[in-house]
Amino acid sequence: MDIKEIQSLIKFVAKSGATEVKLETDDIKITIRTGDGNYRGATTMVQQIPVGQHMAPMSHAQPEAPAVQTAENAAKEAAKEDSKYITIKSPIIGTFYRKPSPDKPVFVEVGSEIAKGDVLCVIEAMKLFNDIESEVSGKIVKVLVEDSSPVEFDQPLFLVDPS
Amino acid sequence: MQIIKLNATDSTNAHLKKMLVGQTLDDFTVVVASEQTNGRGQIGTNWTSEAGKNLTFSILKKMNGFAVDHQFLLNICVSLAVFNTLKAIHIPDLSIKWPNDILSGSSKVCGILIENTLAGNQIQASVIGIGLNVNQTNFTNLPNATSIKLLLGRSFDLDELLNMVLTNLEKIFISLEKGGNNTLWTAYENVLFRKNKPSTFQNGAGDYFMGFITGVSEMGKLLVTLEDDVLKEFNLKEVKLLY
Repeated sequence: MDIKEIQSLIKFVAKSGATEVKLETDDIKITIRTGDGNYRGATTMVQQIPVGQHMAPMSHAQPEAPAVQTAENAAKEAAKEDSKYITIKSPIIGTFYRKPSPDKPVFVEVGSEIAKGDVLCVIEAMKLFNDIESEVSGKIVKVLVEDSSPVEFDQPLFLVDPS
Repeated sequence: MQIIKLNATDSTNAHLKKMLVGQTLDDFTVVVASEQTNGRGQIGTNWTSEAGKNLTFSILKKMNGFAVDHQFLLNICVSLAVFNTLKAIHIPDLSIKWPNDILSGSSKVCGILIENTLAGNQIQASVIGIGLNVNQTNFTNLPNATSIKLLLGRSFDLDELLNMVLTNLEKIFISLEKGGNNTLWTAYENVLFRKNKPSTFQNGAGDYFMGFITGVSEMGKLLVTLEDDVLKEFNLKEVKLLY
């Protein structure tokens, strides 16, 4: 189950009005609790059970899960969850790199203080390498994409605490 | 135009990018090095070049309101500037291999690496790196590489060639600023390597298929007409042209 499917699932559960959903398959266990005053937003616990086989198809457990949820929706979701944070999104389709080159350290990590204009990552498309500069100052709270993985237009890349 | 000449540096792109931090540079500032100790190609690949024999240089192009959606035009402008230069000195059988290698026959004579600085969806500046094989004649372990000297049988003055490329690049950027997008796009597509020729490709899964390179999409993807007349577009990681 990848991050997008989990995001879809959270959204689905939130819409359904259920306060808690537990889902368990061969290799994954998920508990989703929706906000009821005690929680700031949806809480998700994901536990990956390491087994040597591929996970079972999830379709039986999420019959109407919106499979075509867009990156934009995911961004809104994230924004709702953490409204005090700023989401930095990808301006283009391409490949996301956290390092200027494979032998160099990452541009930023969780906890890094960043200033406006600092380079956060590189997104490459058709041999054009784009240094993505931050438009805000603050602290990196979350890195949402793995190094060297493909990203879509508008896909959230980082959460930044601007305070 | 300011030209900074160095005996050696790690990479002219990296050097120029370092210079950009904390100071304002003029548009078209050029860094040229006789030797690159860590010349770069695509992520994780190198550009190797014998010291003093070739041109390895980078140009700063400042942008004013250039949306990143149009970024493939940069590949087009730079490829065409090099292509036009090599055509002027009568390099035979020239083509541009998508996205931005310059070939003579099926051998690579020039590589290009463009790095943009983005704020939001606007390109602030481009650092254009060009590696042109000029007077090197030995390319051990690089079977697909060639040089101007190997192709024409004589040595060339590096400064003279550098000036030719820079002049052509300036000309092309002026026509771009005047709205010459379509003309440039057509000029690029007209000289694409293996255009409209039956070619073999390999997809990400390792399968082979046949198709004809037809052009380049607005986003810069390669357009290939497949056997059943279906037009499909591919990005760099989805397809490999075998030649």
